[in-house]
Amino acid sequence: MKISTIINPFDGYISSLPGEESARLKEFFADFERHCDLPWREKRKLKEDFEKAIMYYSSRGLSLESSLELLDTRNLGGFYARPPVLWFPLDDAAKIYPLSMERGRMSVYLKEPVVPEMLQMALDFTIRRFPSFATTLKKGFFWHYLDTTKRRFPVSRESDIPCRPLKVSQSGSLAFRVLYWNNRISLEFFHVLTDGTGGMTFLKVLTGEYLRLMGAVAGPSPELWDINATPSPEEFENAFVRVEQKGAASGFMDKSALQMNGRLAEQRPCCILHFKMDAARLYEAAKKHGATVTVYLTALMFLAGRAAIDELQGEQSIQIPINMRKFYPTKTVRNFSLYCGIRLPIEETEDMGQLIGEIQRQLEQKGSREAMDSMLTATERLVNVLKFVPLVVKQPAARLIYGFLGDKIFTTTLSNMGVVQLPEWMAEHVDCMDFVLGTAISNRASCSLVTVNGRAMFTIAKLTADPSFEEKLYELLEADGVNVKVEGSGFYEG
Amino acid sequence: MKVDITYPPVEKRRQRKKKLIRAAGWLMLLAAVVCPVVNLAVGGKAWSLIVLMGLYMTWTLVLSPDLVEYNRISQFIKLLLCSCIMLIIIELVIVPGWALFVVPIVGFCGLIVCAALFFSDMVKQKQNMLPMLNLIFFSALGSAAGLLWGGEAVRWPLAVMGILSLALLIACIAALGKDFLKEFQKRFHTK
Repeated sequence: MKISTIINPFDGYISSLPGEESARLKEFFADFERHCDLPWREKRKLKEDFEKAIMYYSSRGLSLESSLELLDTRNLGGFYARPPVLWFPLDDAAKIYPLSMERGRMSVYLKEPVVPEMLQMALDFTIRRFPSFATTLKKGFFWHYLDTTKRRFPVSRESDIPCRPLKVSQSGSLAFRVLYWNNRISLEFFHVLTDGTGGMTFLKVLTGEYLRLMGAVAGPSPELWDINATPSPEEFENAFVRVEQKGAASGFMDKSALQMNGRLAEQRPCCILHFKMDAARLYEAAKKHGATVTVYLTALMFLAGRAAIDELQGEQSIQIPINMRKFYPTKTVRNFSLYCGIRLPIEETEDMGQLIGEIQRQLEQKGSREAMDSMLTATERLVNVLKFVPLVVKQPAARLIYGFLGDKIFTTTLSNMGVVQLPEWMAEHVDCMDFVLGTAISNRASCSLVTVNGRAMFTIAKLTADPSFEEKLYELLEADGVNVKVEGSGFYEG
Repeated sequence: MKVDITYPPVEKRRQRKKKLIRAAGWLMLLAAVVCPVVNLAVGGKAWSLIVLMGLYMTWTLVLSPDLVEYNRISQFIKLLLCSCIMLIIIELVIVPGWALFVVPIVGFCGLIVCAALFFSDMVKQKQNMLPMLNLIFFSALGSAAGLLWGGEAVRWPLAVMGILSLALLIACIAALGKDFLKEFQKRFHTK
């Protein structure tokens, strides 16, 4: 048997280059060495990322000079060259979340299949702009905190259930993951890190960087953070503490709401469904009922919820997250959202017109600045009361409160991310986006909506196999003239 | 309603592992109920307490590990603590009169192992300092209490445990310098 020498493909590539280009490449990697002071294993992986990217460009016929220009090591900044120093106390909302281990996920669907080598490079470049993402969750004596971790952050091919638990237990483990599948790039994150708005900021920057590396001509983009800009404190602040506490504290407690009756699945979520709709048609349908899109969809969810609930009496309650940035503008990518609950007796969820009026009224009242201020004050007071209680005592108590109160006071959730603004040069490469809420404990469905490029994607993360809720919702939308294309996962149980 | 599948098929391996852990959990729960009942019915020494502690150790160390702060130091300390409790239970229910002597020996051996785990990879392990600080604190406290109220026969293991815990604390401070204060600040912040 002939013994062949195993050659690293990149070494083979270098040896095929003319002397001048080979020297240029050596110079490039010498520069890389100055930008990277990671432990050797991580450094090796990061270097391999560059090698694979150069090979990819070469296979596409791009000149070495152009490749190295796109992959300029200046994009690494000093992030990989300096030891970790920063740490972040959790924001006030996140102080509750680590105990419940709640997660979220958002995806962007491109018009072309994702090239993993380039996505990896995009993440290598993007992460330094988001220091609060480059962290590991650690346990303090009184509170958890986020401790900076310097390593190469990997992207992975999707091969598991969406929103599966993130393992944050080990040293250096991550509180987010970047996945790809066909033309989809997904960001799954732990809610201690960020909320929907922060996650979307990260995903947009990552996608923008990916598209730049793929050769898209990036124009001026006020909607996107510049990866080479220096992070500012405001971008990572705990915005809750900046808001002056005023008025009465209220908003946490409520009575139990009805739950959909489908059997709880073992897998969480057991199914993801995306209702892909034309945003203009959806808007028209809402307008026809004299409602905003959020109010209209909430009304449909009440009707669909009724189809999935056997009880004839009791109240349904839909949780609506409220982005506090609309009341207190801030650039922070940390959590800065609260929520309100729209409640209606099940026997009154029949007439669409009546429903819309009532939902509108409740949303205006419960989602108002005053109501949110009261909830924020309650959050602040709770945090202040608990701050000297050791975590070992707080943790089981908070888990109990979240598990038995936080979840059961709602039937389901609707989180509307609104219309995502993309720069024109980026929008032409993007088909649509989706946003998946991590499933709760007993709520059988969690819904979310995001609109981009005129496409609205309504997502349902299911916790039961019972299809009554989504089937009714589909039927109602179709009846209102909104054509729905349904995409999603199979059923994960069984 | 037709659904176009846009997600990859899921690897069954992870699901099987989850099911196995769940099954093991139910078996352990069954054992935790049956053993005390049998023990009460048969009478004699309370051996079921040892079984219960064993089940808890298996659950917390193997089947349901910590969700946050799972590292070699924290897990070793958890094992050490569980072992000490197990020794005390054995003394209380089976053979009395030796735990106050043996537990401090286990304790100071644990401190030595902990120091080895910490100093062999200080750059990474300084992020895992809290469990070790807790061990140092409780070892010193236990040693002081034992020396005050324990008998003559248990003096030397308690004294060694106390001295070692203080020595480990001083070594940590000396080795980490300013970083020790920074780590301390992170671990005990109330912000």
